[in-house]
Amino acid sequence: MSATPLPHLARGVDHAAFPTLDPAATIRFYRDVLGFPVVHSICAAGWGPEKHPDFVHFFFDIGNNDRIAFFHYFGFEPPMVSERGDAFARFNDEMPGFYITSRHLAIHVESEEHLTEYQRRLDESDWPTEMRVQHETIESIYTHDPNGYMLEITRALRPVTPQEDQDAAISVQALLDIADAGTLTLDALLQRKAELILAHAEEWEQLTIPEEVR
Amino acid sequence: MPTIYVLDVPENTTIVEVASRHSHVAVQAVGPYVELSSSEPIVIDRRATGCRHAVWYSCLAGLSASRIVQWDKNALRIEAA
Repeated sequence: MSATPLPHLARGVDHAAFPTLDPAATIRFYRDVLGFPVVHSICAAGWGPEKHPDFVHFFFDIGNNDRIAFFHYFGFEPPMVSERGDAFARFNDEMPGFYITSRHLAIHVESEEHLTEYQRRLDESDWPTEMRVQHETIESIYTHDPNGYMLEITRALRPVTPQEDQDAAISVQALLDIADAGTLTLDALLQRKAELILAHAEEWEQLTIPEEVR
Repeated sequence: MPTIYVLDVPENTTIVEVASRHSHVAVQAVGPYVELSSSEPIVIDRRATGCRHAVWYSCLAGLSASRIVQWDKNALRIEAA
């Protein structure tokens, strides 16, 4: 499907940054409700060629040394088109909810016990768990943080198999192919996947399914 | 001849099992996939599979010379394209 892959040098999320209009609630939510340690902050006077407000940039550890970070711009009130959406993006009534909630952050936990513990912390706060769902291979809880950003906390119900990784690679190649061909539909994707499955099936070595999956 | 591919993972086991109850459906392994092909439309009853929606609505890995005629909470029906 591709030539020798490029060396994969990236090592996870350093930080993902979001604006906040409500720094107090943000600190209460991440530090006090979820218990994420504060690990870094920058308090800065505005500078630069644009009229840039003074700001504070603060970081919470989300595990694994990965971090979620927020900017609060002092005195800045962004023009917002509606109440729908979050502190970064607002939408009018024409935008369906599935699209708005498609952008979210999912934080990993190791066990059912740990997932339940975060559910308990949220349920005792002003930001209770909105749903707990078992998808096919994961279980997740969801809420919106004080900025309207959707937050998912998730655990794996079983390890991902090499076959699923292979299938994902084929799906993505098929998606690229149909996008290049100008026909972006599920039907076209599944047709192209079948072609790739047949083209590559014989060369696949028998992949070992981990014992714990069976 | 309608032909579909389903990834061989535990969650899809009952989908293959229910589909292959029809004598006209042939089943064979193709790499890590199960290929189901049939001289007649392939019809799979969702409730018979016991699959919940997340599995059910992502169970198809490929379609060959086929089209999806029905894929809802009741059944998946594949016919020749």
